[in-house]
Amino acid sequence: MKKRSRKQHKKHREGDIPTGSFSDIAFLLIIYFLVATSLVKVKTITADLPTGEKQAQAQMDKTPIVNLRETDIFFNDKSVSIEELNARLAALELAEALGSKKVIMLESTRMTSYELYFQALAAISANGGVVALVEEDE
Amino acid sequence: MKRSRSKKKRRAVPVPIASMGDIAFLLIIFFMVCSEVTKEKNLNVTLPMSENVEKNKYSLVARIAIDADAQIFFDGRPVDSAKDVEWGVRAMLEKTVLEDQRHVQFKCDAALPKETFEPVLKAIAEAGGIIEAVGEKVE
Repeated sequence: MKKRSRKQHKKHREGDIPTGSFSDIAFLLIIYFLVATSLVKVKTITADLPTGEKQAQAQMDKTPIVNLRETDIFFNDKSVSIEELNARLAALELAEALGSKKVIMLESTRMTSYELYFQALAAISANGGVVALVEEDE
Repeated sequence: MKRSRSKKKRRAVPVPIASMGDIAFLLIIFFMVCSEVTKEKNLNVTLPMSENVEKNKYSLVARIAIDADAQIFFDGRPVDSAKDVEWGVRAMLEKTVLEDQRHVQFKCDAALPKETFEPVLKAIAEAGGIIEAVGEKVE
């Protein structure tokens, strides 16, 4: 009983939470995020590569093929520049095509650089094609 | 006349700073929502160029990179082979439901040969990822 009465009689101190430095802390955090953030979005090409077993040779023959031989590009066995490849792929109207008619085969030699590979991949993707990678026979 | 004007007392106008903290916290929330903490700092990669690249509009499930020394990185951590990439992407995609959640960023040095990057591209495709190959725009 005594304890209770003592507790009840205790006066609560009135104290303010110091909020004066809140804005300083907030601006410090802003500066941190400004420094740590990169607002620049990366530029990419989208390629959904289909996976599956090897197709029959007969069907492969009908599909347009892009060959990359080290520094040269061939489209259906004819040497082309990257601009010409873009134009030829655009002429195929791949975006409107359906199913397997969208497929463009991409074959490359061992020493083909990623630069050339990327350009071919970008040209096919930009024209609405689906890339099918051709594997070398072992 | 001019002198008499200068004698006028100037009122001290207090700048309202009560809402400064609110504005600051609002800005913090904006940056926290918009920012992406980069996991690929100090990567030695020269990006390939193309006129067909566009700003990426998809959220990415994983980030794969191959630097100039042919070292493969999965979300900023070095891995041994393309097989590790396949398992990693497969594990990430297990939780996904939507088609838009399958995008995997792929960054590779422009000078690397096919035998280095193609197994990684195939690994991403085998795991079910849609490749977002990073490049620079030719102006």
